[in-house]
Amino acid sequence: MATKFGVAGGIPERRVRPIWDAVDSRQYKPALKLASSLLVKYPSSPYALALKALILERMGKPDEALRVCLEAKEFLYSDNSLHIDELTLSTLQIVFQRLDHLDHASSCYEHACAKHPNNLEIMIGLFNCYVRECSFVKQQQIAIKMYKHFSEERFLLWAVCSIELQVVCNSSGHKLLQLAEALLKKHMASHSLHEPDALVMYISILEQQEKYDAALEVLSGNLGSLIGIEEDKLRIQGRLLARACNYAAAAEIFQRVLESCPDDWQTFLHYLACLLEEDVNWSKTNSSHQSCLPCVDDIKACKATHLTKDEFDSRISNALSFVQKLQMDCCNDCVRGPHLAQIEIERRHRLHGIEHDGKFMESLLNYFYRFGHLSCFTSDVEMFLRLLTDDEKDQLLDNMRTLESTSASPIKALGHAMTVFKVQESFGFMFILSLRELEGTARKMLEMFCKDLKLSRDLDPQENMHGEDLLSMASNILVLLFWRTRKLGYLLEAIMVLEYGLNIRRYVWQYKILLLHLYSYLGALPLAYEWYSTLDVKNILLETVSHHILPQMISSPLWQENGDLLKDYLKFMDDHLREAADLTCVAYRHRNYSKVIEFVQFKDRLENSNQLLMARLDVSILQLKQKADSLQEVECIFENLNYGSRFLEMSNEDKLKSLTFNEDLQARPWWSPTSSVNLLSGCFEEGSACLRESLKGGDEEYIVKKVIERKSILPRLVYLSIQSGSISLKENDRNGSLSDASAVGELKCLLERYARNIGLSFDDAISVILAISRGQKSFKEFGSDFISWINFAVFVNAWNLCCRGVKLLNEDKCGMSSWRIVDNLVKSCVAEQLMHAEPILASPGDKLSILVQLVTEPISWHILVIQSRIRWMLPSGRRKKRSGMTDHLSSPDMQAVCGSVLCLIDAIQHIERWVADQMNRSEDQDLDILLSHVHRGDAEGGPGCVLQSLEQNACADDVGDRILGALQSWSCATVCRKIVGAQRKMLSHLLRICQSKLKLLRSMQ
Amino acid sequence: MTTIRRFCCNDLLRFASVNLDHLTETFNMSFYMTYLARWPDYFHVAEGPGNHIMGYIMGKVEGQGESWHGHVTAVTVSSEYRRQKLAKKLMHLLEDISDKIDKAYFVDLFVRASNMPAMKMYEKLGYVIYRRVLRYYSGEEDGLDMRKALSRDVDKKSIIPLKRPITPDELEYD
Repeated sequence: MATKFGVAGGIPERRVRPIWDAVDSRQYKPALKLASSLLVKYPSSPYALALKALILERMGKPDEALRVCLEAKEFLYSDNSLHIDELTLSTLQIVFQRLDHLDHASSCYEHACAKHPNNLEIMIGLFNCYVRECSFVKQQQIAIKMYKHFSEERFLLWAVCSIELQVVCNSSGHKLLQLAEALLKKHMASHSLHEPDALVMYISILEQQEKYDAALEVLSGNLGSLIGIEEDKLRIQGRLLARACNYAAAAEIFQRVLESCPDDWQTFLHYLACLLEEDVNWSKTNSSHQSCLPCVDDIKACKATHLTKDEFDSRISNALSFVQKLQMDCCNDCVRGPHLAQIEIERRHRLHGIEHDGKFMESLLNYFYRFGHLSCFTSDVEMFLRLLTDDEKDQLLDNMRTLESTSASPIKALGHAMTVFKVQESFGFMFILSLRELEGTARKMLEMFCKDLKLSRDLDPQENMHGEDLLSMASNILVLLFWRTRKLGYLLEAIMVLEYGLNIRRYVWQYKILLLHLYSYLGALPLAYEWYSTLDVKNILLETVSHHILPQMISSPLWQENGDLLKDYLKFMDDHLREAADLTCVAYRHRNYSKVIEFVQFKDRLENSNQLLMARLDVSILQLKQKADSLQEVECIFENLNYGSRFLEMSNEDKLKSLTFNEDLQARPWWSPTSSVNLLSGCFEEGSACLRESLKGGDEEYIVKKVIERKSILPRLVYLSIQSGSISLKENDRNGSLSDASAVGELKCLLERYARNIGLSFDDAISVILAISRGQKSFKEFGSDFISWINFAVFVNAWNLCCRGVKLLNEDKCGMSSWRIVDNLVKSCVAEQLMHAEPILASPGDKLSILVQLVTEPISWHILVIQSRIRWMLPSGRRKKRSGMTDHLSSPDMQAVCGSVLCLIDAIQHIERWVADQMNRSEDQDLDILLSHVHRGDAEGGPGCVLQSLEQNACADDVGDRILGALQSWSCATVCRKIVGAQRKMLSHLLRICQSKLKLLRSMQ
Repeated sequence: MTTIRRFCCNDLLRFASVNLDHLTETFNMSFYMTYLARWPDYFHVAEGPGNHIMGYIMGKVEGQGESWHGHVTAVTVSSEYRRQKLAKKLMHLLEDISDKIDKAYFVDLFVRASNMPAMKMYEKLGYVIYRRVLRYYSGEEDGLDMRKALSRDVDKKSIIPLKRPITPDELEYD
């Protein structure tokens, strides 16, 4: 910035430079001093004011900064003699943008533009303001103005982009496209086009109007040469031809691309689709904007061909000979495309019901023969493997094993062997093997790993070792063994195997992710968090990877760490969303128009991220949980949250509909394909397989939307509930915006929504909580989400308190006060949870997190309701008639409150005792217990034997010093000790929370 | 089979399996997007069947006169797709664009002095160590500036190694 100025707003450079220097070196205090003294000399200079505002903003004084900025704006508007320069404007703009007041920046520029109508710099500044505000129409208008004044191609394209953005983002009518086309045509007639991306835009405009022939004509004319890479041009040509249903010509073009890029899989799929005249969903592949790909492997598409059998045969045999020619031409053994293409061709045969003498299988085997040693083999052929019958699967594996044993080099042999395991895994065979067979397989994998460690002896420690996947696969089998037998030893072994691998090479992120899920499940969340931290997840990875840890943290007592995670994530997103439009301006400036469209759509996608919304909710709910012991503090938090209403607005129906799901779920463990699924918490069902594919994306999205809705209602419910204490008892009207009647009405409305959200109508939900609290129905009726149900009961009680006269749950009708309902539910929940509660050491699962949630959510909200009730009944420091107080003290209401306090004390004490019992044991005792689980194995098998074989086999001496050192330093006991420590940390957090709640409740007695 | 195409924003949401690798830096958003906005031809991604991201390359073209050159900012391949010469393919693409479209004189890149596997690979691809940049990486580790001459630099002047190491503030470009 310091280099940018000359004479600014009439102030000589020598006076301004020291200020910028100070700002650039973050010396804000001296900068402010200099700016203030500058203002003494130039009290009405907008530039001097803008500088001061900028410094104030950097110093973290947004209110003052805004005030000074507005003062500057005032001078700009009022002083007609003032010359307005771009530097003043852009400095003001920077500050306004950082203060989230883009509108003020725009109006400054608008004013300047009106005053200096032909100033290009200012016009560009204004255009950029509109880009930041996403005002596409205004963008278009100013761009056209610039184009008219200066006749530059780029300004025309700015206008065209602004038009396309209206079409893409606001679904504005296609008339606009016609306008864009006309503008471009007129310009081209007199000036032609000179920028490659201008051509891309023009083609895109034509394509969207389905004017394919016109687009093709432009592309094949002189302008076509603007596209520098010949293959890129051909790909566009092919797409346009295909969209125009000129399949033969399109196929020919794609064939030409394949001749020079034989490995281009995408183009091969397009080629085949055109050859077979299939209907590809080109709109998804449209233009260069997005990376979405056509669903060519969709079976429906394959069957949709209208070709006769003879036509089909002849075309597919053409494809086959072309592909075989490509295979011959590529002597390079890294080009997999033409070989995979052959499998794809045979797959088409199969899909058309044509038996082809086992050619499909043959092509798969050929592919294995060539590329079976590569670790991507299985994911390459995944979509083909699904088509095989059970017999074929067996046959394929048999053949693969035969081929495997003929591998020449040991590294290739290892690769082949791993591939066979992976294919077996992807067939779901692990789910049908016997326990012994499973153990045997895991042991075999580990033996292979140990035996082949020597292959990695000379590798750089940074490089991936050979056979790394074996450990993850073995660990996966051990988890399966645990699921089937419920023997903790297997789960511990699954952990040990991965820890063992990380002990040798600490960079394997795949191990870390599996481990962090296992640790979370085992109640050793601090260890999970530790491993997660070593992944160095930052920037955009926060959006795609943090689902591995966030959900567990949110229901844990690790508030500090959870708060840090949420804060980091929100900071990243907020920072990016604030600066994203600046980058769009860069794309405009550098004439990369297709990127402009892409950037705007991408920003939209991130803005609508489900995780972003969830994190905004979670961060506030976490705050409430942390401060829940003090009604005053909770009320302070609510003041900053618009009393919870903001969340209701943030997650309205439209918002929920447009949510995006950007998480990368690929690396999740097989037993938890999404955050809301954990197969281990259910029973193993043979053949259930429950593989990743069986879980539809839609289910997960539905669940997430439900959770978001529930969380968005919660803060407002809590707020209204703690207000309810005073609403019902107050005789006079309250001051403030919320009238009693509307508060009660709103509470009811939200409760109805909450009930619907958890799956029932309001009345049915009331019946369920009544029946369960009376013991007429089992607690299990609530299903797994009983925390939400108890929350519901807490809020119903609060609502019940404030609807005088219209009580739904009055004692006459139900025989039980709403206080008692909550008491009973809390009591039975604790009893249910602690009935068979083994110490968490030996019983993995979510028991601990449920208890944490129970205490920190419904119980906490209920205590707040109690507090607010008591505060109203016993107002301290206020004038109140003594007799009134005595009335309250002896009222049935007060007795119910006291009963509830006693009940909560009792419930929390139970939990406290359960926790304290576990903490009373010594760590060594715990360690012995854990170790006994992994040391049970004998020659017959059982938990422990797989790990044993790993530890015994890995003592080879030809593995090199580095690996040998790692092997020697391995200690299973050290890992167990860490687990014990982490579990204890969790327990002690819970204990502390219980103790603080108890202290609070006792003070109320 | 590898489809190499221009990198786009949505790929940022799909490259986790590549970037979780400890040697692959995940830059801030404005870094990626500035590259996309300014040098889209220098930012390519390789995709396998099933739309799995195999790896990517990002770079730029800059400099004046005879130091007009292509620069490789990052090239990375997911562990699943290593040992099949994908990095080479991506590097060739960038070299080709620098050479044929932008008519640059050479391509350069920086590599950690400790990263032997990468250095060996670049040497195999024809790069030579042009100079050492002292404490280039976070003020700790030295970086090696490696270069490969393109067809426009007929005499290969651009790659004659410098005799002395330089410090980061002597670098012509960031």
